[in-house]
Amino acid sequence: MEAAAHFIPEIQLDHVTMEYESDAARVTALQDVSLTIAKGEFVSLLGPSGCGKTTLLRIMADLAEPTGGDLKVAGGSAREARLAQKYGIVFQSPVLYDWRRVKSNITLPLELKGVPRAERNKRAMELLELVGLAKFANHYPWQLSGGMQQRVAIARALAMEPEILLMDEPFSALDEFNRERLNEELLSIWSKVQNTVVFVTHSIPEAIFLSDRVFVLSPHPGRLSAVVDIPLPRPRTKEMRNSEEFFRLIARIRDSFEGGV
Amino acid sequence: MKAQGRYMPVLVWGTALLILWEAVSWYLLEWADVPMAQSKLPYFHKVLAAFGTYGGVLAAESWITFTNAASGFLLGAAAGALLAVLMSASKWMERLAFPYAVASQMIPILGLAPIVFGIVRNEEAARTLIAAYITFFPVALNMLRGLKSVPPAALELMRACAAGPWSVYWKLRFPASLPGLFSGLKIAAPLAVTGAILVELMGASRGIGVIMLRNLYYGPSHVYMFWSTVIAGALLGIASYAIVSGLERIAAPWQPEFRNKGGGR
Repeated sequence: MEAAAHFIPEIQLDHVTMEYESDAARVTALQDVSLTIAKGEFVSLLGPSGCGKTTLLRIMADLAEPTGGDLKVAGGSAREARLAQKYGIVFQSPVLYDWRRVKSNITLPLELKGVPRAERNKRAMELLELVGLAKFANHYPWQLSGGMQQRVAIARALAMEPEILLMDEPFSALDEFNRERLNEELLSIWSKVQNTVVFVTHSIPEAIFLSDRVFVLSPHPGRLSAVVDIPLPRPRTKEMRNSEEFFRLIARIRDSFEGGV
Repeated sequence: MKAQGRYMPVLVWGTALLILWEAVSWYLLEWADVPMAQSKLPYFHKVLAAFGTYGGVLAAESWITFTNAASGFLLGAAAGALLAVLMSASKWMERLAFPYAVASQMIPILGLAPIVFGIVRNEEAARTLIAAYITFFPVALNMLRGLKSVPPAALELMRACAAGPWSVYWKLRFPASLPGLFSGLKIAAPLAVTGAILVELMGASRGIGVIMLRNLYYGPSHVYMFWSTVIAGALLGIASYAIVSGLERIAAPWQPEFRNKGGGR
């Protein structure tokens, strides 16, 4: 593949395993997951619920610690990467702070980093421009629709110009139309920032439309069952959703589920 | 919402209540021939007249009660908030302090007031301490709940941004606890006034409770004045609640109940 020519590893997982005790039973959430994500790559973690894809993302984000295996992020540990503020995270729900207006929700990570106020505000306005919400800078989060709130959350995640953007089913609460529109917007934003993106989803078309590569996970226990390259050219357009190639990829990923589960 | 639409029901209810009051009072006095009818339910207009005549005295004594209650309230609120922060920061602290905080509320104020007065031997200090004592518990309890109400995802966001423990408090836990803090303060504010009045009833030289007690002793001739002091006490409670509510709108205006429909999605 073209990407292989300048493949600089950003996130490397080596036999990562996650087990936990629940009601005296031992649950294996993830078993021996090994994968490498390249710098500047857009990848998806795709799978049904219970396959451990969110757990995997949380491990990458240093929000959970694996019980086995190794993990390297940007040449160091995940903890080092987190403390160096290399992550931007978008959760399933927007997680905006009610008491902050849209603009100061976006500047929160910058405040925590100690960026001066003038620079923070300038950056927030740029980001709001980027996600198309400049007019709503002084609104409170509850005055926005769900899709707009999630765009604010994306802007906040991008505030620190993170090397790695982690997204945990960010559009799963939205209807299909909004989701497809935000997929396109996300790609146009990403084309401007060009960082590494790990995107968790349970939607096959969403994963294909967005990603360079799709990691397919199967449940019980969660494990990597396939890695699918998405050779669709960039920039991606909505017409591609109806291309033969797109349907072929959907079928291929669906097959990998049936083979793996 | 239009002001007219909001105040109309209050006005109608108020008027109806006053008419009923006057009617029952007139019935007790003129028809039923109840002994000491005016002590049971005096004419409202006569109470109002006494309230007007002695307005200066009532205001001056109310002010003394109010300032003592307010300083006690602030003291208690500060202690309650501090305790809540300590209990939220450490499970150990919560386990240690919480049972005592609950037990403290089992002691009847009626018994505690003379004990406190006996120790401090100063009526102003006693009023302040009792008001503080009443305030601290609802504030601590409600604020602790607020501090703990932070959703896990909001905390994870802080963690992902590599926020230190102080930042987590200042930028997340503390603002998130403001609605809880204010529900505690709104419960405590009128209670602090009641507490201060109670101490005055036990023996003090100034305050609304003192003239309340005096006019009660003087008997039927002072019944209108007695009722005036009761109304003054009630107004103090209402005022304290209104002040805290006003502060809440300034300090935490983003809460769901303050959201106007116009700004919705």
